[in-house]
Amino acid sequence: METLRTSQQTYVKGLTHHVQHLRQISPTAYVLRVDRKGLSFDPGQYINVGPHGSIAMREYSVYSGAEEDFLEILVKEVDGGVVSGALKRLAPGDPVALEGPFGFFVIEPAQREKGKLLFIASGTGISPFHCFAKSYPELDYRVLHGVRTSAELYDREVFDRSRFVSCLSREEKGDYHGRVTDYLREHPVDPESLCYLCGNCDMIYEAFDILRSQGVPSEHLFAEVYF
Amino acid sequence: MRPMKYSLLQLGCQMNQSDGERLRTVIESLGYEPTENEEEANLLGIVACSVRQKAIDKVYSKIHKWNTAKGERNLLTFVTGCILPADKVKFLKLFDLVFHMNELPDFPDLVRQYGVVTPVGLDQGGVGRPIDDVKQSVGPSGRGVVGEESRKDRLKGYWLIPPTYTSGFEAFVPIQNGCDKFCTFCAVPYTRGREVSRPSRDILREVETLVEEGYKSITLLGQNVNSYGLDKNGEEIGFAELLRRIGEMGNASGREFWVYFTSPHPKDMSIEVLETIAEYPCLARQIHLPIQSGDDKVLIRMNRNYRVGEYRQIVGNIRRLLPEATLFTDIIVGFTGESEEQFENTRSIMRELQYNMAYIAIYSPRPGAASSRWDDDVSHEEKKRRLHELQGELQAISHEHNMAMIGKSYRVLVTGRDRLSGYLSGRTEGKVIVRFPSTDERLIGEFVEVVITEAAEMAVAGELGGVRVAADREAVYS
Repeated sequence: METLRTSQQTYVKGLTHHVQHLRQISPTAYVLRVDRKGLSFDPGQYINVGPHGSIAMREYSVYSGAEEDFLEILVKEVDGGVVSGALKRLAPGDPVALEGPFGFFVIEPAQREKGKLLFIASGTGISPFHCFAKSYPELDYRVLHGVRTSAELYDREVFDRSRFVSCLSREEKGDYHGRVTDYLREHPVDPESLCYLCGNCDMIYEAFDILRSQGVPSEHLFAEVYF
Repeated sequence: MRPMKYSLLQLGCQMNQSDGERLRTVIESLGYEPTENEEEANLLGIVACSVRQKAIDKVYSKIHKWNTAKGERNLLTFVTGCILPADKVKFLKLFDLVFHMNELPDFPDLVRQYGVVTPVGLDQGGVGRPIDDVKQSVGPSGRGVVGEESRKDRLKGYWLIPPTYTSGFEAFVPIQNGCDKFCTFCAVPYTRGREVSRPSRDILREVETLVEEGYKSITLLGQNVNSYGLDKNGEEIGFAELLRRIGEMGNASGREFWVYFTSPHPKDMSIEVLETIAEYPCLARQIHLPIQSGDDKVLIRMNRNYRVGEYRQIVGNIRRLLPEATLFTDIIVGFTGESEEQFENTRSIMRELQYNMAYIAIYSPRPGAASSRWDDDVSHEEKKRRLHELQGELQAISHEHNMAMIGKSYRVLVTGRDRLSGYLSGRTEGKVIVRFPSTDERLIGEFVEVVITEAAEMAVAGELGGVRVAADREAVYS
């Protein structure tokens, strides 16, 4: 049999996923957990998720680890957002349309062993790094998480404290007061580092220029833009 | 009785053209005859394209016109092809039938269920069911919508439909459908669904049949043609192996033909693919490798998943392994947020990589594509300026390539009469357009030798040097 993974077919063919749990993680973000149904993915990949029966779907990096028997996504609530609003209204047991996985924002085995991995995130862009940390407990990494307030430091305890740097732009708390790109300017990166960037496009563009100016070759820069 | 006729409007890419060839087979199996005159057609259909808004606007324009003729004659309308979900909802109110191309095998049933008496049905003494009988089974509006539940099997069925080739010497062979790449400017993943590879045995059979029938140019088609097989998780051969098997078939056939493929994604353009092309003469030395932008940050925003440096490496491999190959590309100018500096990087890579041809498009947001949620913040005037500047670059580079052809002899596949009276035109293996003086239309569909004598920006001209034709044809030149 051939495989055709259209959104419609996924749920019509009995691969509809169901909500297990919805956890409000900040005033404006939540983690949606659904049953896994054997879906296989590489940490860092994303899935398309939407309300069952709707044509609207959005891309979300998988938040949960590769070995867990459920799938989680971290959802930022968008004002007037069709999908983020509809998903939030789901109750345990409700069906969810899901397709994937997709994307190439993964760490190849050779890169995992090489070390000097630097993860740079803004906001919910922490999601794939959360998945990396859960999936690869032995990974040698550092993560910089840029957010506005400490309330947006989603599940930071998942990361080894010594590897995690919080950058808060609107609170004088955390490890650094300022934007994550300010931190990068003040703390130059080893050009040998493999840098993974995930978050909004402005942050990625700015970080990209900073890292290039610090001698990191573009082949060492991997990006996943959130829209 | 006057024969029932159909007219088909095909919009968009070669994939749609290929889809149209299978669609024609199904329609004609119902007894309809083709006509170019819409006003005498009883069945009017569109193979739609969602890549550009202009193509979608044309669909709306056509159906409004066709619907005004509804009361005047027995007329059934349909739309298929690349349709975004949002457009599909609107089309359901305008067309009698809306279906996904995968559902083509069900088209005869849909037509009959709609209550239409087809010519074949008449011959068999049958009539279609009244429309009231089928409303429950064809969709919420009572219009013909095929259910989604068995698309997988239907896609298989779709590929088994023999195409009604529109040429006797050039053919398109779909090998893969859909896209998993999700470039942010593109709506194809939302219109055609995920990547699905056609079974290799079917592809090889179709190619072999075409070769046996004397086809000279065969193009393997797919949205990401070189991702072939990846969706099968090892249960199907990969693209390089598919090419190798076609190459072996070509060697064994003793026939001369060229096999192309389009459109590949740089991410999956492996060295094995290039080595295979280098090994077999029937695999054409022409590579279409869309770059889209010459700026790393724009590529990130486009979600292209390669850097300019990686792309440059692939081109280096092409130049090394296939030094005689021509190189084509696709470029988008004025993508959301594209700065002047980023545009200049694209201009720079064009100069560096010396493309023979570039299909340069002005960015326009497509509903459904991720970039449609962003500000389209480069003005139309600025986009046009960038387009013209790159076209100027392309013309200069292409002219230089073409000048280098002067005095040399090239194998040319004659494709038809030229616009200039007294001339035929064709193309080289590298798809350079060639014009030469001749009125011998028996040469159309044949290979000839042409010595290039003149070069223009996008084409060359020459003199017929020699002709090698099949033994059963009369024309022999030397």
